[in-house]
Amino acid sequence: MRVTLCGTRGSLPTPDADKLRYGGNTSCVLVELAQGRLILDAGSGIRRLGAMVFGAREPVHILLTHLHLDHIMGLLFFAPFFDPAAEVTVWGPRGGLRGLRERLSRYLSAPLSPIEMRELPARVRFSEVPAEPWSLLGAEVTATPVTHRGPTLGYRIVEDGRSLCYLPDHEPALGCDLDATPLEWISGAAVARGVDVLIHDAQYTGDEYSGTIGWGHSTIAQALSYAHRMGAGRLQMFHHDPSHEDALIDRLAEQARERWRERGGQPEQIAFAAEGDSFQV
Amino acid sequence: MPATERPALERILARNLIAATVTPAFVCDGDGVVTFFNEACAQLIGRRFEESGRLTRAEWNEIGPVDERGEPTHGKPAPLTIALREHRPAVGRFRIKTDAGTPQEVEACAVPLIGADGAHGALVTFVPVGAPPA
Repeated sequence: MRVTLCGTRGSLPTPDADKLRYGGNTSCVLVELAQGRLILDAGSGIRRLGAMVFGAREPVHILLTHLHLDHIMGLLFFAPFFDPAAEVTVWGPRGGLRGLRERLSRYLSAPLSPIEMRELPARVRFSEVPAEPWSLLGAEVTATPVTHRGPTLGYRIVEDGRSLCYLPDHEPALGCDLDATPLEWISGAAVARGVDVLIHDAQYTGDEYSGTIGWGHSTIAQALSYAHRMGAGRLQMFHHDPSHEDALIDRLAEQARERWRERGGQPEQIAFAAEGDSFQV
Repeated sequence: MPATERPALERILARNLIAATVTPAFVCDGDGVVTFFNEACAQLIGRRFEESGRLTRAEWNEIGPVDERGEPTHGKPAPLTIALREHRPAVGRFRIKTDAGTPQEVEACAVPLIGADGAHGALVTFVPVGAPPA
């Protein structure tokens, strides 16, 4: 399983000169499996990915964690949607009263979009994720609701005994002591426990979080605690705050690795997700 | 956001809970201001939280309890009033004004949100009487 980070920024694309190393595109991750490719989230980072996939004539699967704009804004610019021969399945969370297609149509319709969902030339299918794990391109995929504002999923992908967990927007520490609460009562444990690679929300510093409690995101320290409790093999700090420039993230990364070492871990287990990075799980 | 403006953790958690459920529900603060209502509630009362935002007590009183003509009633205290005043759960039946315009009888349950540092409002769920199980 090979993972490529196509968008690592949270909330808003930030094409600023001082943010280019970690990247300005919002959440999008490519997962290459033996039998095909999965795309996690459709933030602005999916645009360049679309150019890679376009014309490949393979079924495309996009797994959305939730429908906040920074995770779906790239859909309109995803080239395969405009290929009449393409088959695209968009997976996403159940939303109560309205189906996934209807909820996404709020964005892919006037006045927010010049193009309506029904005008997309490709064959697009919308599927709400099943409650039980399911097989996709030879991998086992598990989706579970997690703590964030609105219906939000975390995903676990397992292929040949190797596992990836994707929790880009997550606030497990809300009302929960991550170091003391029994695992089964911590949000996302069903998909994160014992995972080889954990991609997790690490948007805020501690100072920033004091003003954003309940907004659905984690601090870097909380992400470390979470990864430690879950026994994750490696942690990719993800969903960088739009205000965090490269130099700041470098400093935060150094501090995070030191804190991880204090927990008995190896510094190389901790990475701050950079757009364009690619690694084997 | 200053700490004084930040909703209590109990209300944040309550909001997250009802946002994930399909039973009509809302959360209010200690003054009875509805600070969030979920999609199921929005569908029933005919207004979306994203558009209306918070509802004052006066605005919510226009919705219910109402009589068979849709006029606000002032009879025995509604479950929410009991929960906010007496800090105990309460249930009751009454009518609310729905999107359809006709008053609908609902069965409501109000639970006070009491944290270690005091009362922080209440969570109310309600089900139309006669509605099939979800």
